Amino acid sequence: MTDTGTALRAAGLGKRFGRSTAPWALRDCTLRLPAGRVCALVGPNGAGKSTLLAMAAGLLAPTEGSLTVLGEHPAHARPRVGYVAQGKPLYPQLTVADTLRVGADLNPGRWDAARAERIVAAGDLDPRARVRTLSGGQRTRVALALVLGKRPGLLLLDEPMADLDPLARHELMGTLMAEAAQHGTTIVLSSHVVAELEESCDHLLLIGGGQVRMAGDIDDLLAAHVRVTAPAADADLGGHTVVECRTTGRQLTALLRPGGPLPEGWRTFPPSLEELVLAHLRNPQAPALTPAPAQSQETHA
Amino acid sequence: MTTTTAPAPTAQAAGRPAGRPRLVPWLLRLHRPALYVWAGLVLVLAAALAWLWGPLTDAAAAAWRQYDACDMNTRCSYDQDAILRYKDVYGYTTFAVTALPFVVAAWSGAALFGRELENGTARLAWVQSVSPARWLAAKLALPALLVAGGTGVLVTLHHLAWTAGRGRIDTAKPWTDDLTLHAGGPTTVAFALAGLTAGALVALLSRRALPALALALCVTGAVRAAASWALPHLWPAVVHRSGLGTGYTSGGLEVEHGLITTGGAHIADPGCGPTTIEECRRLYADLHATAFYTRTHPYSHYWPLQLTTTALVLALTGLFVLAAFRVLRRTTGPAAPAAGDTRAEAAKGTPARAGRA
Amino acid sequence: MLEYRIDRHSGVATYVQIVQQTKQALRLKLLEPGDRLPTAREVVEATAINPNTVLKAYRELEREGLVEARRGLGTFVRRSLGTAPTDDSPLRAELDGWAARAREAGLDRDDVAALFTAVLDRHFAAREEHLQGDAS
Repeated sequence: MTDTGTALRAAGLGKRFGRSTAPWALRDCTLRLPAGRVCALVGPNGAGKSTLLAMAAGLLAPTEGSLTVLGEHPAHARPRVGYVAQGKPLYPQLTVADTLRVGADLNPGRWDAARAERIVAAGDLDPRARVRTLSGGQRTRVALALVLGKRPGLLLLDEPMADLDPLARHELMGTLMAEAAQHGTTIVLSSHVVAELEESCDHLLLIGGGQVRMAGDIDDLLAAHVRVTAPAADADLGGHTVVECRTTGRQLTALLRPGGPLPEGWRTFPPSLEELVLAHLRNPQAPALTPAPAQSQETHA
Repeated sequence: MTTTTAPAPTAQAAGRPAGRPRLVPWLLRLHRPALYVWAGLVLVLAAALAWLWGPLTDAAAAAWRQYDACDMNTRCSYDQDAILRYKDVYGYTTFAVTALPFVVAAWSGAALFGRELENGTARLAWVQSVSPARWLAAKLALPALLVAGGTGVLVTLHHLAWTAGRGRIDTAKPWTDDLTLHAGGPTTVAFALAGLTAGALVALLSRRALPALALALCVTGAVRAAASWALPHLWPAVVHRSGLGTGYTSGGLEVEHGLITTGGAHIADPGCGPTTIEECRRLYADLHATAFYTRTHPYSHYWPLQLTTTALVLALTGLFVLAAFRVLRRTTGPAAPAAGDTRAEAAKGTPARAGRA
Repeated sequence: MLEYRIDRHSGVATYVQIVQQTKQALRLKLLEPGDRLPTAREVVEATAINPNTVLKAYRELEREGLVEARRGLGTFVRRSLGTAPTDDSPLRAELDGWAARAREAGLDRDDVAALFTAVLDRHFAAREEHLQGDAS
């Protein structure tokens, strides 16, 4: 199968830190992220998001399974992958301009100085300011300039918007989206708050308990689910995949993946992305929805 | 998004020749303050040693000549200040040169590696177009060059200064003095390199700046102690015999001493004393001892001992480097799979691509 | 240049908001044939929404024949939209009368709004259909 259209592909991927008795940080992770998507990597704290991103960035070796990034081994893909770790580490003693020079020094043949400088300039940053004197939003901007300057095909951002005020968050997300629009960069953003990514992302990867709970284009995922309320007495949920179901008095409320037409008397609502995510996280026993295999068949055809 | 998509990144990568990362400017930019401090330290110490080597030694030697010419019965003047100044400056510079490997180890463990691993900037470097292994290689090679150069100059000057005073200054340290021996020889260069690499290794293991600093100092101290202990055993020593009545005839760097029995065996000296004591004479007779012996190194062994010890410490340094790369590899995974794997992956892609066209 | 304002809490899909705001601009003659719509990059930089959302909205406008994409140049307005019924149109007069009667009947503002929305939903059921209906 050709991987030109795939930014990230994992099969049976697992990572365990330390001894073989240690718990799995990520287990049995199979997914395919098509190129050009802006993907929200969502899950509760400690779900394995950072582990997955670090493995994709070639910083951690998987314990089992395989992982391809832009069609290559993560270590080979390094020049074409941008990664910003949690907390956005930068050299505190360098100035903004020197930080960008680091990018130029370490990314020979790839560095786009104009692009990096444009991103910094958009934030009204003094290039001579030391990184240690910058605010959280400004640091994030410099970190983004440093990864975007190397013209990545895939951008991995671990909790990039955490600890930013709403204005900085909006501005930086705008910068990211502009880069995605202009260069077709595939972006993966992790967060434990789905609401802050909903408008910006078109793909979702939901991880819970070290496993993939839901993956796919957000429009497809929303279309595949329906929230229903029905009289509890005559509700037969057979034939549908039930993600979550609650009965209050005589009324039954459920989140379903319909397996066929729903009865007339049921009231249906389209779920919001947040509802979908929360329902899947609240109900770990609900079957995972990962359309990855079907999509790879499409690629074959 | 397809309408605005720029050429695929693969095409960009293939279109441009991948240059070499400019690692030296990057490292110098990152550690500029450390570079200045090191250069300053080397300059100041070099100046002090040059002063010691020339004017101070000459003045002190002249003072000793005056002193030795003195007749104790008449009033006699000699330049005591020159003697004391020489002694002080010699002591301070020797101590400073001895301390250099520890300074290097502390900096390596804390600033060069520990802090970077602690605050995540090491990862920042690894996700540029430079592999973690290359990062470590660069961060070891350039400082190693500067450290070896700096300490090399200083131990050479120290050696010259010490040699200049030898035989001219009555209280000049003998070559067997531990600090003098190492401060004026290549072993200190090796200690400094061991400190540098030990700092890298413990920082990679602990991933914290402060513990790495402390551990690096401990490891360097242990290496130095071990080298001091091992040095006399790294070259065959010369055996001196002396009669039981004469006692030990000392000289040079002693390895061991004891008694020789009638059978020619070397046994431990019970430490009784001279044969003038009746009890001791009886004791030696009981042990069938015929003579004392010492195994020592004469001054002619100076360079063989220096070089073998240096080689030993450098071998240890090599082990530290190897271990550091192994630790790095264990955390970040193999730098890259074997070339065969890549070809296999590419091959997998070919039929599908052909099918599309 | 047209600036889109995205209301995340309106319940209206983001791409529909872009389509609606573009049409509004066409009706108000803020956009005229030959004008260039902001590029996807410009829109997402200001709004922080996903670029595909903008492209989806533009495709929708293109399908309705309102705009055309010229490769490498941008998206341009092809034709204008008839102005919205003005103050003296019969439709407005009817609605005006209806609102007055509703008030006399004792309905407050929220009641009227709920009623109006319910009727809107019946006549313009699904948004997709509504958009396609506009095109014909």
